[in-house]
Amino acid sequence: MAEKDDKPGGFSVSRRDFLKTAGVVSAVTAATSPAEADAQAAVNGVGPGNVPVRLTVNGKRLDLMIEPRTTLLDALRMRADLTGNKRGCDRGACGACTMIVDGRAVYSCSTLAIECQGKEVRNVDGLATAAGLHPVQQAFCDKDALMCGFCTPGFVMASVALLEKNPSPTPEQIRKGLDGNICRCGTFSRIFEAVSSVSARGQRASLEGSPGGADARERVGVGPHAQLNKGVTRG
Amino acid sequence: MANPIDPQAPGGGQAPAPQQPQGGGRGGQAPAPQAQGGGRGGPQVPPADPRYHWAPPHSSIGTHVKRLDGPDKVTGKARYTFDINRPGMLYGRIVRSPYPHARIISVDLSAAQKAPGVKATHLWRDPADAGRSTVMFQGDEIAGVAADTEEHAIDAARLVKVEYEVLPAVIQVDQALAGNAPPVFAASGPAADTTPGTPRSNVRQGQTQETGDIAAGFKQAAFTLEQTYATHVITHVCLESHGAVCEWDGDNLTAWVSTQGVNATKDGFAQGLKIPASNVRVITQYMGGGFGSKLGAQDPQAMICAHLAKAAKAPVKLMLDRKEEHLATGNRPSAAARIKAGVAADGTITAFDAESWGTGGAGAAAGFPLPYIYQIPNRRRAHKDVFINTGLQRPMRAPGHPQGSFITEVMMEELADLVKMDPVEFRLKNLLPEAPNAMHPTYLRQGAKEFGWDKRHPTGDTTPGPIKTGMGVAINTWGGGGSQGRAHVEISSDGTVVVRCGTQDLGTGTRTLVAVVAADTFGIPVSNIKPEIGDTVYPPSGGSGGSTTAAGISPAIRIATVNALDELKKKVAPALGVEADSLVAANGRIQVKDSPSKGMSWTEACKQIGAQPIAADGAWAPGLSSVTTSGVQFAEVKVDIETGIVKVVRVLALQDCGLVISRLTAESQVYGGIVGSLNFALFEDRILDRNTGQMVNPNMEWYLLAGMSDIPKIDIRLMDQSDRGVVGIGEPPTVPTAAAIALAVRNAIGVTVRSLPLTPAKILQTLAQQRA
Repeated sequence: MAEKDDKPGGFSVSRRDFLKTAGVVSAVTAATSPAEADAQAAVNGVGPGNVPVRLTVNGKRLDLMIEPRTTLLDALRMRADLTGNKRGCDRGACGACTMIVDGRAVYSCSTLAIECQGKEVRNVDGLATAAGLHPVQQAFCDKDALMCGFCTPGFVMASVALLEKNPSPTPEQIRKGLDGNICRCGTFSRIFEAVSSVSARGQRASLEGSPGGADARERVGVGPHAQLNKGVTRG
Repeated sequence: MANPIDPQAPGGGQAPAPQQPQGGGRGGQAPAPQAQGGGRGGPQVPPADPRYHWAPPHSSIGTHVKRLDGPDKVTGKARYTFDINRPGMLYGRIVRSPYPHARIISVDLSAAQKAPGVKATHLWRDPADAGRSTVMFQGDEIAGVAADTEEHAIDAARLVKVEYEVLPAVIQVDQALAGNAPPVFAASGPAADTTPGTPRSNVRQGQTQETGDIAAGFKQAAFTLEQTYATHVITHVCLESHGAVCEWDGDNLTAWVSTQGVNATKDGFAQGLKIPASNVRVITQYMGGGFGSKLGAQDPQAMICAHLAKAAKAPVKLMLDRKEEHLATGNRPSAAARIKAGVAADGTITAFDAESWGTGGAGAAAGFPLPYIYQIPNRRRAHKDVFINTGLQRPMRAPGHPQGSFITEVMMEELADLVKMDPVEFRLKNLLPEAPNAMHPTYLRQGAKEFGWDKRHPTGDTTPGPIKTGMGVAINTWGGGGSQGRAHVEISSDGTVVVRCGTQDLGTGTRTLVAVVAADTFGIPVSNIKPEIGDTVYPPSGGSGGSTTAAGISPAIRIATVNALDELKKKVAPALGVEADSLVAANGRIQVKDSPSKGMSWTEACKQIGAQPIAADGAWAPGLSSVTTSGVQFAEVKVDIETGIVKVVRVLALQDCGLVISRLTAESQVYGGIVGSLNFALFEDRILDRNTGQMVNPNMEWYLLAGMSDIPKIDIRLMDQSDRGVVGIGEPPTVPTAAAIALAVRNAIGVTVRSLPLTPAKILQTLAQQRA
C-alpha cells in the first residue's frame, strides 16, 4: 500500500521520506488483519487475466472483474466511472490521485485495487453529502483554491485526511501534510488559506511563518532540493 | 497576433514552432513586436458606439466573484477529457521512438494486432515515404494501437516491432554551435527536413539587428561589462496530459480534446482527416492546464486517436502518460547571450552588443526579446537558432519573456554595481518615460516602498553564519489584448439568461468571466447567468493563447448583452409608459434612470418578453480592450551557503491588466505566474543524457516542482486601469519572478550565478569559484 504517511499525527513523514521505504512497505503490507490476510492470499494466487475484486468505495460495495495489476485509481476511473480523482504522473509524485484508505491518505495510482479488499476506500466522488459540500470543499471554493482543478480532488482528499487526523494543524503541519501534492497552476497560497480556514486554529495561520518561530536554517532546509540532499531515492 | 514574429525583434516574442496555430496559450504566442518590449500607449479610444462602453458603476465587474465551476471541480463532477467514458470505449496507446534520430525501416503490427483485446492499429510513420520515415527525437510518434482496456493497449504497443536505422544525433547545443556535432538539420528551408542530399547545418543564423551607433556608445561608457548568461529548457507539465476521446457517427466526428482552442482543433481535424469541418464537433468543458502546449490543431495523438476510432468503429480514448508529455508535447526553449555592454558614469547604458542563441529542439526557433524593455540607444544583436534532436518547443506561458528577462535583468544588476547605483534607481534611469502601458517607474517606486527596499543591504550579506538573505527586483511587459470573440445571449421570460461563447476555460476562470460581464450589463447576480462555453457549436472565438481570451471575449459579451438589454427595454417601456431610452438595468431591476422607483424587478420585466426569448449577438469590436500590460516584482530569499539551498521568503507583485473583470480569478493568475517562475528559477530542468539524447527525468519526481513548503509569502497588488478596457493577465506575472529571485540570491551571497536553474550544486560551485 502506497501510504502517504505512516505515523501518528502524520506530519513528520513527507512524501519523499516515504518513498525511500515504499518498497519495504509494500512487501509487508496487509499482514496485520484477517481481511488484509485474505487480500494477501488473493495477491499470491491470482492472475494473469481478470479476477473478481470486491471493494468498498464511499460506503458502497463494488464488485469488479479486473486484472490483478490494476491500480485502485484505474479500477475506479475506468471500471466504475468514479473519475473524480485524477491521474497526473501515475507514479506517486503529483498527488492528484490521493484517496483515503482506512483513514490514511494514499496514492491510489501506486496502490493495487486488489490490495484494498476489505478496506474502506474513500475518493472525492463520495465526499460531498446531500447536505452539501464538505467544509474543505467549501473552503476551496470560497478561497479560489483551485484553477484548472485537475489537482484539486487530490488536494481536497489530502486535506481531509490531514484534518481528520489532526483538526488543528500548525501552519508547518499543513505545509508538510500537503507536500505530497503538486498544483501546476500554482495556487498553493490559496490552498493553504483554505485549509487553514477550516482547521481549528482558524484564520490565525498565514503563510508567513510558524508560530514556533522556526529558525531560518530550518526554513531553508525544505523543498525538493532539500529532500534530494537527504539522499532520498525514488521510483 | 497572426504572424510568426522575428525572434530577434526587441520586445517581440518568438516564432511559434511549425504547425502551431495562431493565438497562443495560457502561455501562448508573443504579442506583436513593440519598441523595446513595452509599446507606448495613449489613453484607450472609446468604442464607436457609446452604449457599449464599460461605464461605471459596476455591480459585478471588478469584484471578487467565486469561480462558478468551483463546486464541480471540488466534488469531482467536472469531467475533463481524461474523464470522458463512452459506451464501448477503447483505449489508445502510441508507439514512440526510443532514439533521438532514426530512419524507420519497417513496422510490423501483426503481433500487436493478434494481442488480447486489440481492435485497431494505425501506422503514423510510413517507412516507404522518405518524407515520413524519419524520427527526429526520442518520443517521436510511429504507430498507434487501440484495445479494450488500457492494460491491453500498453501490452500491444510493446508488441509492435519497429526496425530502425539509427542515425547520428545532435544532443548538445555547445557542440552544434562549435560545429562538432553531426550535421543533421537542413541548412535552409524546414530545419527538420531530412530529404537525402539536402545541405546540412545545425545552426540557423538570423539577421543582425542594429540601432544607433555601437562604437560611439562604447566610447561614452565609463565601464564595460562582458558576460554570458543562459537559461535552460523546461517542459509544460500540464497536470492533465494531452489527449482526446474520438467518436464517429458515420462521417461525423465528435471529439473531446484537452485543447486551448476548440475551433482551431475542429479545423485541424477537418484538414488532417480530409473531412468537412461541418462534420466535426470539438468539446472541451474542463481542461487541466495548457500553458501554451495545447494549441496544436493537428497534434499527432489527436489524429491517431481519430484514425483508431474510425478503424475500430468504436470510441477511443487516447491520453498521454507523463513521460510522453515531457518528450513530445513541447517545451520552453533555452536561451543564452554573450553580451558586451557599456554604462556611463551617470548610470545611462550607452551600448549593448549581444550574440544570442537558443534551442527549440528538432527544427523550431528559439527566439526571445533582448534587451528586455530597457532603453538602450545604441544596440546590436545577432541571434542563432540551434537545432538538436529533442521534441519541438511550443509556446510556454509568455514565450521568450522569462528568458529575455533573466538575461537582461542580471546584466542590469552587474552594470548597476559598476556605477555603484541602487538597482531600482539604475532601472529608473534606463526606462523610457512612463505610459499607460508601461507603468514601470511608478510601480518600481511604490513597490520599493511597500517591500522595504531601503532595508536591502549591499551585495553580499555579511551576517555571520551560513544563512544569507537578499532582495531582488525585475520588471515585465506583455501584449495581451484580443480580437477574436463572438457571443450569443438569450433572455427567457422566466428571467434566466444563457450566454454562449465558443471559447474555453483552461483553468484561468473564463467560464466565470463570461457570467461576470453579462451580470454586470443586466444588473443581476452572477448566479443568474448560465455560461455555455467549450464547444464548437457555440459562436466561434479565438484560441486561448497570448493572454488574449479575456480581452477577446469580454467585448463580444458586452456588446451582445447590451443588444439584448435594449430589446428587453423595448418590451418593458410600454408597460411603464416611458421611452425605452430612459431605462437602465441596475440592482436587479429595469428602471427609469432618473427616477429609480419607477420600474420593475428583473423577473417582472422578463415576463414581458413572451414565449420567444430575446436573442442577441455580439462580436469583438475595438474600444473595449487594449494591448500591453506592465508589472514589477520584488523577491526576498534566504540562501544556505553550506548546502546551496535557496528558499524564497516573500514576493511582492505589482501588476496591471487594464480593466479587471473577475478580481478573484485574476489574482489567482498572478499567484500561479509567480509560482511557475519560481519553479523555472529553482527547480525545473529537462535533463538529457549527453550521449544518448535520452531525457533522464521524464517524470514528476526527478523533474522537480515546488510543493507547499517551497511557497513564499506572496503579496499581490492588482493595479486597476479601468479606462484602458480589458487586456489580459495569464502570462505577464510569470515573467519577472525568476530574475528577481536570481538577483536576490546574488544580493545574498555576493556572487552572480549567470544561468538557471539555481540548483544547490550550482550555487556551491559558484561560491567555490569565488573563493578560489
